[in-house]
Amino acid sequence: MMSYLRNPNSPIFSILLSSSTTPNIKSILFSQQNQKLVKRRDVMSGGGNTVTAMGGGGCGGGSGGGGPCGACKFLRRKCVPGCIFAPYFDSEQGSAYFAAVHKVFGASNVSKLLLHIPVHRRSDAVVTICYEAQARIRDPIYGCVAHIFALQQQVVNLQAEVSYIQAHLASLELPQPQTRPPPPPPQHHQSQPLFFSTPPPLSITDLPPSVSPLPSTYDLASAFNQAASPSSWATQQRRFGDPRHQYGGSLSTSSATVGLGGGNSDLEALAHELLHRQGSPPPAATDDSPSRSMSR
Amino acid sequence: MNPKRCAACRYLRRRCPKDCVFSPYFPPNNPEKFACVHRIYGAGNVSKMLQQLPVQTRAEAVESLCFEATCRIEDPVYGCVGMISLLQTQIQKTKNLLARTQAEITVAQIKHSQNQHSEFM
Repeated sequence: MMSYLRNPNSPIFSILLSSSTTPNIKSILFSQQNQKLVKRRDVMSGGGNTVTAMGGGGCGGGSGGGGPCGACKFLRRKCVPGCIFAPYFDSEQGSAYFAAVHKVFGASNVSKLLLHIPVHRRSDAVVTICYEAQARIRDPIYGCVAHIFALQQQVVNLQAEVSYIQAHLASLELPQPQTRPPPPPPQHHQSQPLFFSTPPPLSITDLPPSVSPLPSTYDLASAFNQAASPSSWATQQRRFGDPRHQYGGSLSTSSATVGLGGGNSDLEALAHELLHRQGSPPPAATDDSPSRSMSR
Repeated sequence: MNPKRCAACRYLRRRCPKDCVFSPYFPPNNPEKFACVHRIYGAGNVSKMLQQLPVQTRAEAVESLCFEATCRIEDPVYGCVGMISLLQTQIQKTKNLLARTQAEITVAQIKHSQNQHSEFM
């Protein structure tokens, strides 16, 4: 059975690929080498060994013809027929993945989670659980929430830039004498650490699309209070649509996310062509550089 | 019953010691918070995670754990990854809109310069 994590058709594959804050996940996905199994002592002593030692395709591999699955091997118990973990943690490399999952969630909790999920959705669930476990081991304080906030910050910055550009466009289209473009918005340097020295000026409730003024303090507590109510999360999900429907064409999304995407270069090429037809040099890319610098 | 028990000890139906690791972060007036975290991670795992962290970082860790647990309860299959996917999609759409608007600005600038040129002629 092909490793689920290496299946390019898997939507989770593209999401985790584009996750720039989890390079270890990427290396796991692309690694074709057989890594040694991580001993239980090494795994439990620190997360670093777990992350660097894991090979590719361990999570999601099919159960072998004989022998216990990776989970039962890690737990040192008999792997019974119908073991819930067997389809997702193979005997060779699954132990390493399961070690992280067990350290963060616990085997019984994961088992209960999987039992409440339909069988055809369990592989996706296992992949996301592995991802969250890995993220939590790498960053014991924030886990994968750090990535979420980085993305939210990026969304807010991009929307501010779009608003500025649209205002500039409106000023050009109006029949007025020469008007100066509005001053550029304050740029947020990407090197600014979000979580380490100063709290980021964003709370988890400030989700797009509205470009609201950024709060001055970072407050996870208020974010949790709003997030705790099922209705608020359901409302937010409905606003953005079912994430499961977003996975169609996810490969193109991921490739476009990594770079700027084909659409951007086509439009710029068209603009340059129009300019060349008029015989004038292309304008200075003053508006492009902020977006390019901020897009990553 | 000790009315001063934290939400965790109340949920676990045990005495709340003075040095309880949960009590600063799970006040008794919010039992759902600990219920979420316990359901996904388990009290033992949360306790181990918090004990391995410096005291000043535990509050943030608890909030992020609560957030992830809530995401996982709401969406048992994708959890937080669902939100990551939504944000990535939104980022891509916003970048496309930005590129389109920049192209429109270029076109508008061309038209503007053409109009000025024709006025001179």
